[in-house]
Amino acid sequence: MKDQRVTRIEDLPGPRSQGELEEMKMPYEEYCRKVFAPGQEKTKPESLKGIRWLSTTMYIFTPHSVANLAELGAECIKVEMPRMGDPMRHTSPFNECYLYPLHDSRPMTGTGLGFTNANTNEYYITMDYHVPEMKEAFYRLVKLSDGLTECYRPGTFDRWKQSYRYLQELNPRFIYVWGGGFGYGPKVFGGSYDILGQAHAGLASITGFHEDFGGHCTKHSNWCIDWYSGTQITVAILAALYWRRKTGLGTMIEFSQVQAATRALGYTVPLYGRFGIVRQRWGNWDTQLCVHGIILCGKSDYPDEPNPQLKYEARYAVVSAFNDPDFKELCAIIGRNDLWDQYKTLQDRIRPQAQIAIYKALEEWAADKTRSQVVKTLTDAGLLAMPVMNDKEVYESEHFRQRGTVRWLDDPVFGDVLIQSGYSAGLLSKTPRRVNWIWRPVGADNVKIYHEMLGYPMSKIEEWYEKNLI
Amino acid sequence: MCDIIWCKECDTVNYLDPYYFWNWEGKIKCAGCENVYYIYMIQGHMYKGPEKKPGEKPDILPVYADKPNDGYEQILPGTPGKTRPYNCLPRHIYLGRADMVKFSARGRPVRGWRPQPPSTGVAGSCGFTWDIQKLSPEVWQEYQEKIKKGEVGDW
Repeated sequence: MKDQRVTRIEDLPGPRSQGELEEMKMPYEEYCRKVFAPGQEKTKPESLKGIRWLSTTMYIFTPHSVANLAELGAECIKVEMPRMGDPMRHTSPFNECYLYPLHDSRPMTGTGLGFTNANTNEYYITMDYHVPEMKEAFYRLVKLSDGLTECYRPGTFDRWKQSYRYLQELNPRFIYVWGGGFGYGPKVFGGSYDILGQAHAGLASITGFHEDFGGHCTKHSNWCIDWYSGTQITVAILAALYWRRKTGLGTMIEFSQVQAATRALGYTVPLYGRFGIVRQRWGNWDTQLCVHGIILCGKSDYPDEPNPQLKYEARYAVVSAFNDPDFKELCAIIGRNDLWDQYKTLQDRIRPQAQIAIYKALEEWAADKTRSQVVKTLTDAGLLAMPVMNDKEVYESEHFRQRGTVRWLDDPVFGDVLIQSGYSAGLLSKTPRRVNWIWRPVGADNVKIYHEMLGYPMSKIEEWYEKNLI
Repeated sequence: MCDIIWCKECDTVNYLDPYYFWNWEGKIKCAGCENVYYIYMIQGHMYKGPEKKPGEKPDILPVYADKPNDGYEQILPGTPGKTRPYNCLPRHIYLGRADMVKFSARGRPVRGWRPQPPSTGVAGSCGFTWDIQKLSPEVWQEYQEKIKKGEVGDW
C-alpha cells in the first residue's frame, strides 16, 4: 500500500524522465508564440510598477526617456506649461494630422501626431513651476516621486531652486536627469536638436553617398538621435534605480545628446586614433562587405499609384552576396561571369573601383525589372535580398502583424490609432511593454494629481487655474 | 549644388535638379523662350555646353526658372510647357492645413475633428474614456451605418 505521506515523482503530473521531458517540450516556435503572446500584454504584470517619475520635458529626446519607463509600468507624470502644453503637441506633419481636444481654452487646436510614442501611458498635469507660489506643490511631488527628467538649459532649474542640489535635500533617494544639447563645457548654453546631434557628433558626415556619386552628408529623415538618446537615458535611469536599491541614494544623470550620438560612430574614432584616417561616406554600400548594399531597380512595383512615394520610390532592394560562392551565383544570375573572374576574393571586391563596377552591373541588370522581380529571382537562388519597404508595406507586413509590432489601439480618449511605440522595443515574456493610451489632453489629470494624490482642496486647484498657474 | 542654364536672350535662369542631372547628356528647353540647349554633365560638372540648338526637340524641361533682373518673376515647377512637375510634392495628398477626419483608415471612429464638445472638468481635467455614443452621437450613428455597409475592417 502506498504511503500517502510520501510524494513520489511517478505520481506527479508531467514528465517522469529526462527523455519524456524532451518529448513533451513544445517546438521552440510554438513556445515563443505562447510566452510572448502579442495582444495579451495587459494580462501580465508590469516590471516598473511602483516607480513614480516626473517629466518636465519637451519635444522627443527627453520625453522618450520617460515614455520607456511608462511603457514598462512606471507611473509617469508629465508636467506641462498651462494652456499650451509641450511644444511638440503643435508639431504635426504638414500641419494636418491632429487629434482633438487639446485643452478647453483652445477649442480649435489639437495635438499633432508628431507627439506620438514619446509620451505614452503618462498622466498629464499643468504647472508653471518657476512661480514661487507653485514651489510647494512641485516639492511635494518630488518628495513622493523616485525621479525626474528635465530638459531646460543647464542651470535653469538651479536658478529656480529645483535642481539636483536642492531636490536631494528634500529626497535623498531622488534620481535627477538633465537631458539636453551639449552639457557642461565650452558650449554649455547650446540648445539641442536631433540634427545638431547628428552633425556635432560626426554622424552626418559618414551618412549618405560621397559627393563623387552625387551625394551629400545626410541626416536621417526622422529624429533618430532623439529616439536613440532618449533610450540611452532610460538605460542610465534603470542603472541608477539598481544602484539605489544597493545604496539607498539617488543620482544625478547629466546627459548630452550630442555626446550620445558619438556612440553610433562605431570604429570611426579608433580608426582615426590609429592611422589618422578620416572616415568617409559610403552610402548604401558597405566598406567591409561587397555585395552588401541597396540597388535601384528600373521599374516600380506600383506603376499606377498616384502617390509618388509608391509610384517612383518603391524601386530599391537590398542585395547581399558577399561570400565567394554567393557572389559567384550572383554573377551567373546577372549574366556577368566576367565580374567573378575579375573579383574572386572579398578583398578584391571591397576596393572602391570594384564596388563601383559591381553595383553598376547590378543596376544595369535590374534596369528592366521591378523590385519584386529582383528580390524573387535572387531569393529563389538562395541569396539574401529584401525590398526597401515603405510605411504601407510595413503596415501590411505579416511578420510585424504576427509579432504585434504595428497594431491598432483603441485609445480611450482619442479613438482608433495605428501605433508601434511600446511594441517596437523587443519582447519580454513575463513583463512585456504595453500601450494603454497614446497621450491625454493638456492638464487632463490635474484633479487626480493635485487633489487625489497631493490632497489640495478643489478650491485651491480652481484658484490656481484662474491665475494661470496650472 | 544646382547647376543652371542662364538664357541670355530672354534673361531667364533655368535651374536643373542636381540629382537628375549629375551624370546627364541631352537637350533642355528654356522656360522663358523657345531656345533649346545641349548639355553634358559628368559627376555634377558641366563638361560640355550649354550650346544653343535652335529648332531641335528637347529631352526634358527645367524643374524651376526665374528672372532675377526682372523683379524675380518665378516659373514654378509644373508650369505646362515651361517646367516639369516636381514629383516629390504630392499636394493632392498633403494639404498643409488640418485635415479633419472622423474615421481611421480602417473605418473606426477617431477624434480628428474640431471643435469637440467641452467635456473637461475642473482645471481642464478630463475623464479616461470618450463615450462616443453620448458625446458624439452623430459620429456614432455614422459609424453604425459604416458597420452595416461592411466598411469597418480589422486592418
